[in-house]
Amino acid sequence: MTPGALLDLTDATPDPARMRHERHARLVASMREDGVDALLLLGQANAGYATGVRVPACEQARALHRRPVALVTADGADPHLWTWYPDGAPAGLRADHVHPGLRLEFDADARALVSAVHDVCPTGAVAVDEWTMPLRAAFDHPVGDAGPTIGRAKLQKTADELACMRRAQRINEAAVADVKAMLAPGVRGTDLTARLLERAFALGATGNTVDPIWQVMPSSIASGPHTLTGDVIFPLCTTTEPFARGDVIWVDNGLQFAGYQSDFGHTWIVGGAPDATKRAQCARYRAVVDAVVDAMRPGVTARDLTRVARAVEDGRRTPWLAHFYLGHGAGTESAEAPLVGTDLGDAFDETVVLLPGMVLVLEPVIWDDGHSGFRAEDVVAVTETGAERLSSLDFSDYESTR
Amino acid sequence: MTAPTAAPAEHLDRTLAAMTAAGIDALVLGRSANVRFVSGAEQLAIAGTRPFAPACVVVRATGAVHLMSTTDVGIPADVPPDRLYGMSWNPMTIMGNVAAVPGLTDATTVGVDGMTPLMEALLGGVLPGATLVDGEALLRTVRRPKSPADRHGIRRAVDAAETGLAEVAAAARAGTRECDLLGRFEAALGRLGITTPAFDTVTCVAGAGLRVLADERPLRTGDLVHLRCGVLVDGWEGGLARTRVVGPATGPQQAAATRAAAALGATVGACTPGAAIGPLRHGPGVVTLEGVGLGHEELADDDHLAVDDVVFVEVLVDQVLLGDTVHVTTTGPVVLSTAPVDLD
Repeated sequence: MTPGALLDLTDATPDPARMRHERHARLVASMREDGVDALLLLGQANAGYATGVRVPACEQARALHRRPVALVTADGADPHLWTWYPDGAPAGLRADHVHPGLRLEFDADARALVSAVHDVCPTGAVAVDEWTMPLRAAFDHPVGDAGPTIGRAKLQKTADELACMRRAQRINEAAVADVKAMLAPGVRGTDLTARLLERAFALGATGNTVDPIWQVMPSSIASGPHTLTGDVIFPLCTTTEPFARGDVIWVDNGLQFAGYQSDFGHTWIVGGAPDATKRAQCARYRAVVDAVVDAMRPGVTARDLTRVARAVEDGRRTPWLAHFYLGHGAGTESAEAPLVGTDLGDAFDETVVLLPGMVLVLEPVIWDDGHSGFRAEDVVAVTETGAERLSSLDFSDYESTR
Repeated sequence: MTAPTAAPAEHLDRTLAAMTAAGIDALVLGRSANVRFVSGAEQLAIAGTRPFAPACVVVRATGAVHLMSTTDVGIPADVPPDRLYGMSWNPMTIMGNVAAVPGLTDATTVGVDGMTPLMEALLGGVLPGATLVDGEALLRTVRRPKSPADRHGIRRAVDAAETGLAEVAAAARAGTRECDLLGRFEAALGRLGITTPAFDTVTCVAGAGLRVLADERPLRTGDLVHLRCGVLVDGWEGGLARTRVVGPATGPQQAAATRAAAALGATVGACTPGAAIGPLRHGPGVVTLEGVGLGHEELADDDHLAVDDVVFVEVLVDQVLLGDTVHVTTTGPVVLSTAPVDLD
């Protein structure tokens, strides 16, 4: 996309009310499957999924202490919501189900929340996604793990969720196009962040999830920082060190739209065109992604995908980072299930079966020690019959014969 | 950001002393600010809540801090590489790494700063005899009094937030949209080399209730615009809130601003050692009274202010929002922010 281009909003405009109702229905169905009568959600993304609540992006401590809380019941009634930010409560939620925010690090509010759970579910099975320690103390009966229940609901995205993810990705790519235009020796990563966020919010991003990464990569693992894994280290925090001509930059950022994550990854060369080695690395990255996307369809396992990726790079190192994955899910979290190619191993990957509506962020890494490497991210949704790319990466730098 | 510096040893010393006093043998911490307080380690800033994971272990018997990190980048020199343990997607592997921390399995009382049902079950497996207690409550108390070095960090953050607010205020003209102003703050801070906002800047036109989520509405002449800005610099938070008018302020708006400034002044003036938090929060016009330090720090209604607390105080009076970062001292409150409270 060229700098400043207008966003294509076709198929990227969700219906918020329908999205909220369909997610709630999925969650209730998942609760019934697990025999959970009341689901208490303290995770910000989980509460957002269950209720549609919006909260401002905040550093972690503020986010934890000013978290929204959702209480969902298997009878399908409107969920209850506690939030510190009334303007972020969804329009369709019953007004008497929206309550002021809670200080769950203190006993009084923790007990009040447990009492509210008891009111809607006096004897049934309760599950929670996470605790504060006062909340854990306030429950006087066993409480189950909400993780599997909410995880199952979130795995397959509805059409409106996919529309949010397309919008987030388009905003991200449009903002990045402006940033790319200013890349030059002497520019700092923090300057790129300044431009990225200014553009992204103007284009309609509703939050920024991660301090954007513009990491200068070493030519070899040994010349980079110390690691426990002996592998390439990524990501590292952005610094104010100016870029130099020829630096290889690994880019990674995640901007939100309506609570849904985008994920942009690419490899940039500062102040010059990629040489033949770099172009070959990019071509190999694209070959891995193309092969994996071709293989993606309902019924295929994560193990099938890692096998395909390894086959493309046959005889070379595994084409992703040892401490990460070939791909990860994305949605209301920047990295969520399904995970593909983690250290959970092949046996685990055999159990991960693709379903329509799943979204994978593929992030192969092509590394030639001594010549640095290429990493990007392709966001791909599983459809009824195959796969659809939600991202549209610009590889034109690498296609030049200059 | 600047390179990480070692955590002041006194942070860890105070933590270990509090652990001794509370009978806590070890801390297993997941929250970034707690990890940074005890270790000085800088972690990649990620907005929002994250479920508990054992990112850091403090063992009282050895006085050692152990960190989950695949690299020593961002790790102070006083946490040597042999005190780093690897991350994993397999919770069993993580628990194995945690259990291998010298002295941890001898602990009978372990403080944690959050929990998930899965982590509780797994931690119980590797620490079968241990009782889990509230480590967040312990660290909340330990972190409250701010040393001169801590306050220096907070002042730098307040200064940065003021620079950002001035840029946003200058851009608050008719036709500019709320979401454009939001990005202006991030851009101003980025140019200062700072990319860690404390929260999405409030850039909302005043109305019936306090809004914090920017939308795409353009500002109009005569609008009052709420600007609440906050940023983390080397982990320390600083912030302020001001209200600016688009175009010239009317007489009634000026009068409202005067009343708001008086309410802020009265609330700040009441921030003295011994003052109870609950009544302060219910004072005229008060909308925020919270702790400030390594990000947001929580205060209970039944807490009392003490010397060297740093708090953020904010009032909303007749649609005028004003807030300052305040250091509580024996000789009275010291306001750390300097931006004028005028509307223009």
